[in-house]
Order: sequence, then C-alpha cells, then structure tokens
Amino acid sequence: MQERKGKVYSLAVTTLLTLSMVLSACGSSNSGNDNSAGSPNNNAANSAEPTVSADNAAANDGKSEVPGEKVSLEFWANKFEPTTDAWFKKWTDEFNKTHENIQIKLTIVPGDAWAQKLKAAQAAGKAPDIMTMSYGNIAPAAKLGQIQPLNDLMDPGVFNDLYDNVKDFVSVKGTYYAYPKLVEPSAVLYYRKDLFQAAGLDPEKPPVTWDELLDYGKKLTQKGIFGLATAQTAADLGWSSWGLQFNSAGHLPVTDDWSKADVDNDGFRALLNFYKTAYESGIMPKQALSAYADATPFGQGKVAMEISGSWSIGLFRNDFKNMLDKIGVAPMPSIDGDQTKPTATLGGWSLVVDGKSKHAKEAADYISWLLAGDPQIMIDYFKTSQFSKFSPRKSVDEAMNQDPQASSDPWRKLIAEKVIPYAKAEPIYTYDISLAFATAIESAMKGESVDKALQKAEKDINDIVAKQNLAGTNPKN
Amino acid sequence: MSKKNYRFDNATAYMMLTPIVVLLTIFVVIPFIYAVRVSFYDWSFYQDSVFVGMRNFTNVLTDDLFLKSVGVGLKFAILVVPAQMVLAFLFAHVIKGMGSKLAGFVKTAIYIPTIISGIIASIIFVFIFDYSAGIANYVIGLFGAEPQAWLAEVRTALASIALPAVWLGFGLTTLIMLAGLLDIPESYYEAADLEGAGSFAKMRFITLPLMRNVILFLLVTGFTGALQQFELPLIMTNGGPLNETTTPNLYIFNHFRNDVLVGNSIASALLLFVVLGSISAVIFKVLNSEKAVDG
Repeated sequence: MQERKGKVYSLAVTTLLTLSMVLSACGSSNSGNDNSAGSPNNNAANSAEPTVSADNAAANDGKSEVPGEKVSLEFWANKFEPTTDAWFKKWTDEFNKTHENIQIKLTIVPGDAWAQKLKAAQAAGKAPDIMTMSYGNIAPAAKLGQIQPLNDLMDPGVFNDLYDNVKDFVSVKGTYYAYPKLVEPSAVLYYRKDLFQAAGLDPEKPPVTWDELLDYGKKLTQKGIFGLATAQTAADLGWSSWGLQFNSAGHLPVTDDWSKADVDNDGFRALLNFYKTAYESGIMPKQALSAYADATPFGQGKVAMEISGSWSIGLFRNDFKNMLDKIGVAPMPSIDGDQTKPTATLGGWSLVVDGKSKHAKEAADYISWLLAGDPQIMIDYFKTSQFSKFSPRKSVDEAMNQDPQASSDPWRKLIAEKVIPYAKAEPIYTYDISLAFATAIESAMKGESVDKALQKAEKDINDIVAKQNLAGTNPKN
Repeated sequence: MSKKNYRFDNATAYMMLTPIVVLLTIFVVIPFIYAVRVSFYDWSFYQDSVFVGMRNFTNVLTDDLFLKSVGVGLKFAILVVPAQMVLAFLFAHVIKGMGSKLAGFVKTAIYIPTIISGIIASIIFVFIFDYSAGIANYVIGLFGAEPQAWLAEVRTALASIALPAVWLGFGLTTLIMLAGLLDIPESYYEAADLEGAGSFAKMRFITLPLMRNVILFLLVTGFTGALQQFELPLIMTNGGPLNETTTPNLYIFNHFRNDVLVGNSIASALLLFVVLGSISAVIFKVLNSEKAVDG
C-alpha cells in the first residue's frame, strides 16, 4: 500500500514543488477524478494500437489543409492517467505529421496547477488556443466569452453524432461551445462478492435501496474491513452527491432560475439521514481512507462496498488484477430501489477553443480530427482506459460493438445500459452552492441535526444567490 | 567642500538603493496598486471589467467563512507559535550546554525539518494520521484506545495540523534562539553568580530581557507565518472538517480556484494584508521594541 501511495504522491509532489499547492479535487467540479484514479503501470494496452486507415487520414487532410503559412497552436491538456497523457501525445504527433500547415504544441498541465496557470495566461492574453474543459465549466465560460462557438468552425454533422443528453452538456441555447471526449458516471457501487458470500448475502444480488445498502454495510463490517466507503468530506461530497440529490429530491438545492435555495423537502432530509446513519453506525471509517475519486482502499481489501466513479474500473484492472474476480459492479442504490432514477452525474471532458484564439478555424480542425473524426482514434482511447470511460458519440459505440474486446466486457455493458441512460448533467452554477449543501451533509454526519444542517444550507445558499446576483442568470434557463 | 562630499554621499546612497527600489516597484508596489484597483471591479479577462465599488469587500466581510478563516488562522498561530518558542528556548539551552562537537551534530540534525518542503511534511503526517494504518492510531492502540479520526474530527483536526507546523519551524527557531543566547556576554552571568542569583533569577533578569529583540522577531515572523499557513491544511485536510482548518490563505485559494471572477480573491487577500499588519503592530506595541535593548 505504501508503495502505491508513494507513487501517486511522489507524482503529486513533483508537480507541487514547483507550485506549492495540491488539491484532492481540482477544477470547479470533479477534475480530480482522473488524477487520483491514476493507473501508473499500464502501458500494455498501448501496444494494441489501432491504425488509422489511410483513406480516413487522407480525407481529413484534404478537408482541413489551408494553403499558406504554417500555423502553430498551443494546446493545454489536463494531466490525467499516464495512459491518457500518452494517448494525447501519440495522436497529436500523428496529427502534426499528417497536417503540414498546422502544428499543435501539446502541454500537459497538472490539475493542481491548472487554475493558476490558466488564469495567469488569460490575464496576460496568452491563453492556449485549445484546452480541456469539464462539462460544468462550459456554460459559465461561454457566458464570459472565454470560449468560442463552434457551430461555424466545425462540420455541423459531427454534432449529430452525439447522444442527445451529451449535446446538452456542450451547448448553450442551441450553440455548441465544446466537443466532448468522454463521459463517466460519478457513482457506481463496487462490492466484494467473496465477502458477500462470507456474510451470508447473495453475491449476485447487490443492494438496490439505501436501507439495504446500510443493512448490508452492517453485515459486512468486521475487524479491519469497513462495510462501506463513500465521500465524507465537504470537498468530496460537493460534486459526488449531485446524483443522489437528484435521486432523493428530484432536483438540486437551488431553483432552476437560481433565484433562491430549494432545500426544505423530505428528499434532502432522507439524503442527509442516509449519510448520517452510514457514518454514525460505524460501517464507514471515521476518517476517509482516501479521497472519493480514489478507490485504492477497496482494491487493497479494506472495504467491502465502495461507491466511486466508473473510472475506478481502470484502477482495479491495472493495479489490482488479483482482485478482479471478487469484485462486483452495480448501479448505485436508489432511495426507494427504483433504478431508473438518477444516481450519478455524468462528468467528463471536452475540448474548447479559446475566445481570443487567432486561429480558431485550425484549432477547431484539430478538435474535429481528434475527437470527431475516425472512431478508431477514440476506440484506442477507451481501450487504454480499460473501458472505464464512455463514449459521447454514437458512431464510436457502434464501432466498439464490433470490437470483440469491448463488446464482451460485462462492466462496460452494465454501466452503459443501467447507469448512463439515467445519469444527469453536472450543475453549472457556482461551486459555492454545491459546497454549502455538502457542508450540510458533512455537519449532519458530524452530529448536527438534519433540520438544523438544512436550515444553515438554505441560509448560506440564499446568501450566495444574493451576493453574486445569481437570480435569473442561469445561462441555460 | 563639505557640500560636495554631502552630494557625493547622496549619489552613492541612491545608486545603492536603486536596484532594490526598482525591483520592489516592479514586483511589489505596482502589483499592489493594480490589485487595489482590480478589487473594485468584476475583473474579466475576456470582456470589459465592470466597476462594482466596494461590493467585493462587503461580500468578503459579510462572509461568515472569511471571518471564521481568520479565527482559524489565529487559533492555529496560538497553537503553533508559543509551543514552538518554548520548546526552542529550552532546547537552545540544552545545545548551549553541550560540547562543541555534539552541538554541531545536534544543530544540523534539528535543522533538517526546516529544509523539508511543507508539502512533503504534510504527506508524511497524513501517513502518520492515517485512520487504518497510521502510526498515531497504532500507538494509541497499544494502550487499548479506539482509533481516532485525527484529521476528520472537529476536536483534533487543527491540533493535528499544528503538530507538523511546530516540527517544521522548530529547527530554525532553535538556532535563532541559540544565536541570541550566545550573544549574551558570559560576564553578566558571572556577576550574577557572585551576587548569589539562582538560575531562575538569571533567566528572569538577564536572559529574557536581553533576548527581547530575538523573541520579538520570532513572534512577528511566527505569527504572520502561521496565519498564512496554506499547504498543511490544503494537503492534510482540504480545510475540513466543516472548515475547521480553512486558514485565510486556503480560503482565498479556494475562491481563486472556484470563482469565475477573481474579485473576491483579491479583496480577501487585501483584507488579510490588513489583518496581518494589525497583528504585527499589536505585537510590536506590546513588546515595546522601539527602545531596543542593547547588550
């Protein structure tokens, strides 16, 4: 355990020494996911690279080549797992080789340094032409003119290839501002089949209601093994509980027009009670064994059921191969057992063109080529991520269904069919609101009464609305 | 003639001052003035900034969390600085009494934490306070106690991050204390011995008064340093549980990271500047240092 943690930390430390800061969850939403789900060892998947068909590359070439001078573009990508970084490098090199007039300069920026580096560059007018952006940030950035509309820069056909719910993530009132790369649901239940059996539970019947989850947690807790692990600090709960907020109350803690808090209901009371009971009954550790995004303790066998994002599949498949046949995957239980209610939000990443980019057309050409072009490029990505992330494009899924390795993966099938269709988009309001609500959950876990915690959240959210003049500013409303 | 000399001196003085004045102007004065200006705007990099008057400041001042963070910073400083000073003072006496070879070794040894990055120290202490595998819980387990959630319990979190802060600052504080101690002429103590003064009287009437400037320096730098603590809570607790370890700088950083507009961060940074300045002024006033005591 020390060794693995050491790796992750030494990676973090290297970046930190230059910047003296680290975050367990970075960006305004869940940009921490991919970092901590890091899988240092797997380059094996890379060896099975698909080759871009010559036809395809040639076709793309013809379309995007602009006669004249060579254009050099800056591209900043958030640092994710080593496999993702390698994928960006590999295909950017490929793009540079096949496009004589465009040169993409790729910089991988650690999540911890992202906000600082980007804001400094924006202030100096030197923001990169192309950058990665999580879905929650797209609408606010579009509103401030930080990113450009892509409707006129990209072939409109490429947007028709997106699933309908994802179209909504990357557009504001019918205008597209980003092209999505992947989606990943924020909450999936991982459980240990062998421990289920030992506790007299049916390993093929994971819990489907919160009550069952708590009950199973009690039965599975023993010395050295906690029954359940999930987010338990405000910083983690802020984004990881969005899905359960939809699940319990059917909406988020603020009205759709952002004019006032909307927390006083039985759904949220049940939600706070769920976390409170889980924490106080001792089935969860009193202090988190790891951040929500990092399911390492489950892989190490310290936890019998872990709620984490789909990205943890990549972690288990890369680092805990000997555990794989003991691990079960199921949708996150729902408040009343109805598994068609949302339990997760779909996080994920897209590429955007900076609002001040002088070569927006070329930048958009690169995005089209990489994310919206040959499905094999994206399939290469999903393979290297061990199918822990999911495609926002229909054509990629269709092509993947022809792929024996992808189509026979039961976990991918389960998440694609039973979690993603019901998952919601991440909220686009200021993260302060999410934190205020998460603080209510945490204070209920730490002994505050549920009603008082919700009252405080209501007051705090109304304060935020008033101070930041949020009423009526929802760009999507 | 004297006039000429006078001018010559001035020119030299100005010449020698120039580099630091230029550097300070570029890196401190101009950014500071610019920050003050920006703090009155909804500063945007892509659209015209909007003048909002004092709104950023009133928002910060009416934010419970900002006030709480200043309180957390003060509590943290009170946990760290006195403990560090007392320990360093005692240990400096121990070193003073050692033979020179041993003292050299000990001085090097205690200085090591100072050169360790705060980030690395945080990670080491995260391991120590780990719930299921940390040394801290292992040790109290030997005495039959239940594992403690050191970093997640409101009661213990701040003290748990104060510990590495004391550890990190201990070496440097001790060495500065030791330098102060060695600066006191031995003859004072010999004279006191002849008068029959005990150890306590020597401490009370010779050591402490003559160490006043050293103590003042350590108090001011210690307090401002502790109030500005940032990486320990960032890595060890992320400001939790329930914001009990959100220091002012972490508060500012969180806003900088999460806010779409940076006005709030700048306004709170300027307000923190006022808080730090006032605290330093209070310490100076209390210790009354303008009448520097000369050894």
